[in-house]
Amino acid sequence: MFKRELKVNLKNFIIWTGILLILFAAVFLMYPSLISSGQMDELDDMMEMFPPELLKSFNMDISGISTPFGWIKTEGFVFVLLITGVYSSILGSNILLKEESDKTIEYLNCVPVTRKQIVADKVLVSVIYIVAMVLILGVFNCVLLSGDDDFDKKQFWLLSITPIFSSLTLFSISLLISTFTHKTKKVFGVSLGLVFVSYFLNTISELSDKVEFLKYLSAFSLADIRNVITDRRINPVMILVTAVLFTIFTVIAVIHYDRKELV
Amino acid sequence: MENEIIIDIRNLTKYYGDILGVKDLSLQLKRGEIFGFIGPNGAGKSTTIRAVMNLINKTEGQILIDGKEFLRDDTEIKRIIGYLPSEVNLYDDLTVKGMLDYHESFYRKFDSVEKTAKKDIHARRKELVEVLQLDENKKIEDLSLGNLKKVGIILALMHQPELLILDEPTSGLDPIMQNVFYDLLLEEKKRGTTIFYSTHILSEVSKICDRVGIIRKGKLIKVEDVDSLSDKSLTFVTVKSDQADEIAAELGLKIISKEDKVVKFANNISDDELIKKIAKYRIDKILIEEATLEDMFLHYYTEED
Repeated sequence: MFKRELKVNLKNFIIWTGILLILFAAVFLMYPSLISSGQMDELDDMMEMFPPELLKSFNMDISGISTPFGWIKTEGFVFVLLITGVYSSILGSNILLKEESDKTIEYLNCVPVTRKQIVADKVLVSVIYIVAMVLILGVFNCVLLSGDDDFDKKQFWLLSITPIFSSLTLFSISLLISTFTHKTKKVFGVSLGLVFVSYFLNTISELSDKVEFLKYLSAFSLADIRNVITDRRINPVMILVTAVLFTIFTVIAVIHYDRKELV
Repeated sequence: MENEIIIDIRNLTKYYGDILGVKDLSLQLKRGEIFGFIGPNGAGKSTTIRAVMNLINKTEGQILIDGKEFLRDDTEIKRIIGYLPSEVNLYDDLTVKGMLDYHESFYRKFDSVEKTAKKDIHARRKELVEVLQLDENKKIEDLSLGNLKKVGIILALMHQPELLILDEPTSGLDPIMQNVFYDLLLEEKKRGTTIFYSTHILSEVSKICDRVGIIRKGKLIKVEDVDSLSDKSLTFVTVKSDQADEIAAELGLKIISKEDKVVKFANNISDDELIKKIAKYRIDKILIEEATLEDMFLHYYTEED
């Protein structure tokens, strides 16, 4: 079952990872010409004219965009977070529910395997693909950025693995939601909404101290990019919170799926 | 020691919200028998089977397999069951071979704990593929309804289960394949397999079943040996007489049809008693027909509560 799950989900994994790699390859190809034209410094100067709150939401207050590594730390990671988040959320909402929408669950239910085993195999495959996506992108970017003057390898790798925290949390929430319905379309919309609302709350929370509490409602705050950039370390609390949330949501999903009517 | 009763359904009740699926259904299947579970569409056959297979939650009741309550994660019990749903849905991306290989993989771990010397699952699979004339290289998504059903049959039989649960198994099979399938079931019966056979095709029941349970509006209304059911004294009596209404009133039997001077009713009193009772009336014509098995079922289906 585990091998089959790996195979079934491979195609989507390749497509989503491909999108990320193409996006980053395109930006890196563009950068040398932008830098040589001397426009980047002007751009950095121009950025200073923007309100600090806006710059903060793209981390531009703590990093410039005049180098590819600078771009990764600012806009680049917004894309990584969003794309890995969307992929994880779709995976979470689909991986169990697909058996029901395709009605293959009637078959899977009658073979000698427990429902817990079904969920465990599917979760394990999802975690492998989510982590693999983040790592493959990390290696790809590392190779392309290694010639960059301001490239800080340690900071880069710490930064690169942070999407794992937000993505695993989004995956487990979507997985849990999927155990409450039989319709893929319904949970698909909710999961995508979850990603964008989560991102929105995270962005808003950085704009003012008054609404800072909103970050506690956002999975993206677990990625904690700002602190990774400034402190060059991952806050262990974020790892712990991710582990706790992932475990809680997955365990509730297992318990609920165990009692679910499957047809 | 093996239990004589392999399936013991105790007071099964299932409601879908306010809608009744089955009500207080109790049923026992004896080891080695073919039990026909018959009823019209929507009577509760599939609900009962889905409750047995733990696909749906029971509102009330208990289901024991081989003397042990069948809980949804009991893989030891799942291992001895072969299940064929009414609608076979399999993985479209796989070929027939891939699907059968996948199925085999779930049973491999039990090989070492087999108590009796059983034929290798793979060898049985080969036999079934040959008997049912299936092309293993075809993709599941390209299969016709009949061929998909054949794959479903192989999946239900290849691990040589002790209990087969079949929900309308012949739908989609051509008449030749239906006969091949009946032969396979009789072969399974010889092997000692118990078969729970849900259908609405009456002729199948008389052909292969030992006992039959009739379900109607979610309630089990009759469980009987197929032989004794056909021997029952139900007859259909058609009388042509100017006094047809009076005859019908005197007998107080269930009228099947009534047209002008001709009345047809279902009769369960003996021919001798019947003739004595209606002898005082003037009768133009009388026809007494023996009820077929099919008539018997229709009689139960249409009977008022």
